[in-house]
Amino acid sequence: MPLIRKPSGNTPPPAPLSPVADLQSASADARWAAARSLTGEADVPALAAALAVEGDTRVREAILTSLAQIGSVPAAEAVAPHIRSDDASLRTAVLDALHAMPDAVAAGLPGLLGDADADVRLLACELVRAIHGAEPTRLLCDLLDREVEPNVSAAAIEVLAEVGGPDALPALARCADRFADLPFLTFSVRVAAERIGAKPIG
Amino acid sequence: MDEPEPVTEEEFARLSDFLYRRTGMVFTESKRYYVQRRVTDRMAATGATSFASYFARLRSDLNGEIEQFINAFTVNETYFYREDHQLRCLSSDLLAERIRHRRRSEAVRIWSVPCSTGEEPYSIAMWLLESWPQVDAYDIEIIGSDIDTRVLLAAETGIFGKRALMRLSPDLVAKYFVQLDEDRWQILEDLRGSVRFSPVNLVEAAQTRPHGQFDVIFCRNVLIYFDDASRRLAAENLYENLAPGGFICLGHTESMSRISPLFEVRRFAEAIVYQRPMEGARG
Repeated sequence: MPLIRKPSGNTPPPAPLSPVADLQSASADARWAAARSLTGEADVPALAAALAVEGDTRVREAILTSLAQIGSVPAAEAVAPHIRSDDASLRTAVLDALHAMPDAVAAGLPGLLGDADADVRLLACELVRAIHGAEPTRLLCDLLDREVEPNVSAAAIEVLAEVGGPDALPALARCADRFADLPFLTFSVRVAAERIGAKPIG
Repeated sequence: MDEPEPVTEEEFARLSDFLYRRTGMVFTESKRYYVQRRVTDRMAATGATSFASYFARLRSDLNGEIEQFINAFTVNETYFYREDHQLRCLSSDLLAERIRHRRRSEAVRIWSVPCSTGEEPYSIAMWLLESWPQVDAYDIEIIGSDIDTRVLLAAETGIFGKRALMRLSPDLVAKYFVQLDEDRWQILEDLRGSVRFSPVNLVEAAQTRPHGQFDVIFCRNVLIYFDDASRRLAAENLYENLAPGGFICLGHTESMSRISPLFEVRRFAEAIVYQRPMEGARG
């Protein structure tokens, strides 16, 4: 029989001796290994600094995963500013990482939803999906009541349609009134209200 | 012994948190009954009279209770030649690509994780013996790993019931099994001896790394039990366990693209699989 059985696999690579320094190595493999080994709260500043300059998407992913694994508010605060990046792949990676740290993200969400930059507010609506309980409905309804940008409102309505409760219906109605001249928004509100109304309560 | 009191909301939260930290598996409130059943079983098995005393035993890992507890939460039902389109893809496409620039002295390494009671790694072995024309030209190393140590013992023993064999033809059963009695068949000793089994927790790099790098990993229907953070971690561990250019096969409802951008999607006639890019192929 050609199948074989060996006592063990290959020898694993040794753990990096000085991972914080290795985050600046010229070797992407060394930076990857360093990022993967830094998973303590004390490592957040080094990971944050590395995230700001890392150009290799694979290493960047490892940095974001370590920050998500740490999952603290400082870790989320290190990730969140990159939501403003001009690099679409970094924005997506950052959103995915923030989704993976819902407890830490919840603390910073009101700030992101109130950001002066409409793009940030729009992406922050997506992050609301990550948190649980009644908070998503409240946050998105607060946003809807003050939002002036139709695209941001549309993003909030879309998320509300999935995670919102019946207490979102008045804010949705007010939004539809304010944007009565925008058929796509009033249509979105109607669809969201129907979905929320169709959900079983409790 | 009286039926223990149902776990309270706070106790459920502590248990869920404990399980999550140990395994990456997430049990939300909707799984409370499932959790309750298993806690009740473990309390009965250990003679614990209250949740508090059981949880203290669990946290101190008295008599290896953590392992027993984790074992109680794993889902192990599977059967031979499950999702055989991926096996067809393995023999028709994946291995051909993996051996294209390889010396014959280099073994082909395949990892089945989680392997449950062994149906999948033994299926891979049988499939290659039956369907891969190059099977005699290369050494083939198949490893099955699981977090549940009970199933690993069962996998090494290699005894299966009718249900596990339902997709196999009578010829295959006759060729690779010895019938023990009316309802039980045992994998031939040669085949049992050629598959190695090992414990592994996919979210612990210290446990995944010693397994080395593989040409193909079958990792089906386990990532769905993890939350986003654990899934990312498991994906990076699996990435490290793949040789550059190696492939990973997930369950048919799973998508690596939704978990991690580290892998490239490869569409073959029989299956969609994910590939670790060759070194230098990605910036």
